[in-house]
Amino acid sequence: MAKVLMKGNEAFGEGAIRAGCRFYFGYPITPQSELAHFLAKRMPEVGGTFLQAESELASINMVFGAAGAGARAMTSSSGPGISLMQEGISFIACAELPCVIVNIMRGGPGLGNIAPVQSDYFQATRGGGHGDYRLIVLAPSSVQEIIDLIREAFDLAEKYLNPVLMLGDGLLGQMMEPMELNEEKNFFIPPRPWAASGRMGGPKRIINTLYIVPEEAEKHNLKLNQKYKKIEANEQRWENYQTEGAQLVLVAFGTAARICMGVVDYCRDQGLPVGLIRPITLWPFPVKAFDSILSLDTVHYFLSVEMSTGQMIEDVRLAVNGRRPVFFYGRYGGMLPVLTDVVKEVKKLLLEEEP
Amino acid sequence: MHEKKLTIFVGNLGSGKTEIALNFALFLVKQGYPTTIVDLDIINPYFRTRMVRHVLEHMGLKVICPRGELANADLPSLPPAIQGVLEDTFDYGVFDVGGDEIGATILGRYKAFLLKNSYALYYVINQCRPFTRDKASIVKNIHFIEKSARLKITGLVSNTNLGWATDVQTIFKGHEVVKTVAAELDLPVAFLSVRRDLMLQVRRKLNEDIFLLPLEIFMQPPWYYGIIDPLLKIPQNAKEIPS
Repeated sequence: MAKVLMKGNEAFGEGAIRAGCRFYFGYPITPQSELAHFLAKRMPEVGGTFLQAESELASINMVFGAAGAGARAMTSSSGPGISLMQEGISFIACAELPCVIVNIMRGGPGLGNIAPVQSDYFQATRGGGHGDYRLIVLAPSSVQEIIDLIREAFDLAEKYLNPVLMLGDGLLGQMMEPMELNEEKNFFIPPRPWAASGRMGGPKRIINTLYIVPEEAEKHNLKLNQKYKKIEANEQRWENYQTEGAQLVLVAFGTAARICMGVVDYCRDQGLPVGLIRPITLWPFPVKAFDSILSLDTVHYFLSVEMSTGQMIEDVRLAVNGRRPVFFYGRYGGMLPVLTDVVKEVKKLLLEEEP
Repeated sequence: MHEKKLTIFVGNLGSGKTEIALNFALFLVKQGYPTTIVDLDIINPYFRTRMVRHVLEHMGLKVICPRGELANADLPSLPPAIQGVLEDTFDYGVFDVGGDEIGATILGRYKAFLLKNSYALYYVINQCRPFTRDKASIVKNIHFIEKSARLKITGLVSNTNLGWATDVQTIFKGHEVVKTVAAELDLPVAFLSVRRDLMLQVRRKLNEDIFLLPLEIFMQPPWYYGIIDPLLKIPQNAKEIPS
């Protein structure tokens, strides 16, 4: 075990390498460029391939190809670049191939700016590209969690043969935190019967996204949907922070969750019954977290805190399903929620709203 | 310690150049030297000197960095005032250069103004960073940076830390590695930088004659900015909230 000081973007790179990823294809964009910069240096050290493609379209299609050949492959970008990749992502989801995509969100819409936001939540969890598909979306909130979760991202991608998106914001990508690097183990990468890497006497392997006969396309959609149902049932992840006895429960992920942890600590010191649900999987959204907390009957309200004009709140409302009121606090365009402003909002709800 | 008018800090990405440059410049101000800090970081999009410009100006430091809209951009825009600092014969200049050989490339642009022996070019080392863990990799990185800066490093800064998790043991372990690099390259260790709250512990254990630069940490994520609100009565220095 060695403690090092790492940037979030670097941790995505180091974590990918430790998870056995040996193929990275990408194109620079602020605020995720350190990820590519890091892997350009690090990939050759482990005999891997780092390739700067000519565009995001090329990067994602290179990932498609590498995944089809059985490689653990990855790409990364920020909002505008992820938008360009949507066609390829839809193809990979349809072809049922595993890969990991990292989105370090920046201010939008449009060219926007390079400041941290969480406004690509809809794009990440609602499809983004065309067709009936889902991405598994993981949202780490510290540098340590990045390196722990990216390993899981590759495993989930292969378990379900589906792309996994890791969603962070510019601040998570840029900030430096101390972290433990676990010993590099010779881990087992499972066999890849789906890869088009030579028949070896076995059955034909065809990677296809064209289903020209509607009956067959329906069958394929149904198959994908059954897989998504299974993921929804089995892979919800979240963290409860001081939720015991909480009357007001904040809901926040990533950087906003870090700020909200400070809010909870401060409120608890003041004797205010406040807790936090931090979704780690944004899709599947951790509905179970809400079911279990509502069964305790202490909760009066939920407050969704986001660095957007309110996107995750739709999932919070679906999860709460009318059982309690759900409120919203957000900052947008690259502005960050400030601890004291969230505290003010909390106090307003706890002291003024009728339960 | 500061016999040169111009002090330039280079180093690998995340080695702590910005904190060192800020604290060193403020140290000069406190000694009564008129000092200007120049934000030459053209590769880092966040946590840059410009983020705390108002605080620094309030503390008596002149700050040169892209202004207005450009301050929020990731463009290699360099204000013409930089040249003024290089040509000034009275004021002291401290330069915070971007990380790695890519960040150091910018120094080539000012080579004509950097006469031999007129400046100190310090390479900042944090031994807890992934690409500068041991002597061999540090020496390799120094050569990369010298090549792209087209200048020779004149001294080392020992800045090993793990952010908030730094302890005295970490500092000394890193400092030993820095000393082996200094011996190999025949360079002086200009100073050892230590977070202010750890100074006393370090001084107690230190058995060599080296300048210690106490560090105030300026580049903080917003959950630290959050707790500086006077309403919460947690004593902290006034800091600007990054936009």
